[in-house]
Amino acid sequence: MTAEIRGRRQWPLPKQADPSAPLLKVENLQTHFQLGRGWVKAVDGVSFGLDDGEALGLVGESGCGKTTTALSLVRLLPSNGKIRGGSVELFGIDLVPKTDRQLDRYRWREISIVFQGAMNALNPVVQVRRQIAEPVQYRLNQSESASLKRADELLDMVGIPSRRLGAYPHELSGGMRQRAMIAMALACDPAIVIGDEPTTALDAMVQAQILVLLEQLRRDLGLSLILITHDLSVVAETCDRVLVMYAGRVAEEGPVSRVFTEPRHPYTRKLLGAFPNIRSDRRTLETIPGEPPDLVNPPAGCRFAPRCAQAMPVCSGTPPPEVSFDDGVRVACHLFGTTA
Amino acid sequence: MSAARASGSRWRLRAAQLRAFAVRYAGRADGMIGLVVLVFFGILALAPELFVGPLETATRASAHAFDAPSAQHLFGADDLGRDILNRTVHGARISMTIGLMATVITLVFGVVLGLVAGYSGGMVDNLLMRVADFFLVLPTFVLALILAPVLIEVVGADAEVMGIRATLLVIIVVIGITSWAATARIIRSQTLSLKERMFVDRARVVGVGPGRIILRHILPNVMNLIVANAVLTFASAVLTETTLSFIGLGDPFQPSWGQILNGAQDSGAAGLGAWWVIAPPAVSVVLVILAFTLMGNALDDLLNPKSRVRR
Repeated sequence: MTAEIRGRRQWPLPKQADPSAPLLKVENLQTHFQLGRGWVKAVDGVSFGLDDGEALGLVGESGCGKTTTALSLVRLLPSNGKIRGGSVELFGIDLVPKTDRQLDRYRWREISIVFQGAMNALNPVVQVRRQIAEPVQYRLNQSESASLKRADELLDMVGIPSRRLGAYPHELSGGMRQRAMIAMALACDPAIVIGDEPTTALDAMVQAQILVLLEQLRRDLGLSLILITHDLSVVAETCDRVLVMYAGRVAEEGPVSRVFTEPRHPYTRKLLGAFPNIRSDRRTLETIPGEPPDLVNPPAGCRFAPRCAQAMPVCSGTPPPEVSFDDGVRVACHLFGTTA
Repeated sequence: MSAARASGSRWRLRAAQLRAFAVRYAGRADGMIGLVVLVFFGILALAPELFVGPLETATRASAHAFDAPSAQHLFGADDLGRDILNRTVHGARISMTIGLMATVITLVFGVVLGLVAGYSGGMVDNLLMRVADFFLVLPTFVLALILAPVLIEVVGADAEVMGIRATLLVIIVVIGITSWAATARIIRSQTLSLKERMFVDRARVVGVGPGRIILRHILPNVMNLIVANAVLTFASAVLTETTLSFIGLGDPFQPSWGQILNGAQDSGAAGLGAWWVIAPPAVSVVLVILAFTLMGNALDDLLNPKSRVRR
């Protein structure tokens, strides 16, 4: 299955690729940002894995490190960001010690991004197809005409009619622009596509269309997908597994069906409670009191403890260990310290 | 072999784009009017002999002082009895040359250094902008007064560079080096704001190098500024030439529109009611600048996809 998907790729795999290794394995990733007053620990000890063809949802409130985690994979961080620990293994190759030049082999060619806000990510005075041709031309060193031809194929693949090929960004609708961004992400036939809130600025109908498109492309191309969102319904609809993050750490991780029906971490429960449910007759939504901690000096113990209704004395002193359950769910909470 | 084929198809692509652009430009009335006027003055500048006598006839008196326009002297004569039509036509060469060359120098230096300074930032930006500051505060006339004798001493008073006499070269160079800094500052400030836009980040992530980002993503976004700047620089260059002629830095053997206007002012043509001395060169200056503005407008509209009509 795995070999079959990889065999479909038009571009060869990295040289040292180990076919038996998982597609992506992130261990204890620590990405910090340097600010005047110290290091902001935006991502502090995150581990997860991603299999071929799998879709992983990354959820959590704003500023919890979702985007930073994803951008750390191929080090597309702002200049003050630094990976200070952990490993990112793609095909069994650790990317963290690689130099920027060596990483160019992986950027966009193995891991690409569908940016949030397609209007801002597209140059207003350059034709969309020329911008989509860019990764082909510069990452794969194809000629300009070959790149443009590939761009046209890609646009066709994401459902943009061929008579719109010469369009500029403002001449396309919001949904079409997002489709164009997806086409750009697929340009080099990557193994993993990161969707950074790809549907956030779109209305419900277009959002549904984009999700259907992503799902279909994932199936047809054998892509693996990391979907960053704060919309739990999007995760429920498209993802196989979900990773709930809080303040730079993993709170809970597991199959979507398990985590959403039987949330174990108090934060996951609160998060699901804060989301409207079409079947229940609740009139008011739950809220989570307080606010996320300062990530320059995070709390010593569990980072959710100050806001947690079930906090115990141990919670504020020691960080909770990650406990794995038989149904594939992994939780970092003292409530489950002994029951596992 | 394959590289040759690729570059061949690239040129075909470029040619097709150029043709499409020409067709769209031809559809713009203002752009075409500007082009026609500019081509007309361009022909005047390149071949004045086609319309009037050779240069000598423009510097010699052929009528009486302040003769009004007549069949023999269509635009009348100036205070020394020189034919105004003749002088205006011959003046086109000097004014157009100075305007164009000074504009080219200003734009090349201003745009390239502005883009590089704005995009690189840091030390490079600091260094380039301090150099620009130096040129910004240089007084045009003082610089011209110092440079003119030096240059003439070096190349000789009668030396010509591409048919341009040394004194004119001084004017071109002086206008160029005193006005590039302002253009560089404008382009730099726009580049600074553009490089923070997300599409530049995206281009970087996608693998486009710094040079390509400047050329393909930032330059098209500052095109309207460049066009507007070209028009302004051309106008001010023609006027600066007038002023420099006024302090004796013009070339007395070759009439320019500035010199005719200057002569008219010296001889009090306006007070004597001799409007025909002032009108032809003044109207020429206005027409050329207007033509530039019209073309600039049309180009700006065509190059800026946002103002394009949907197909």
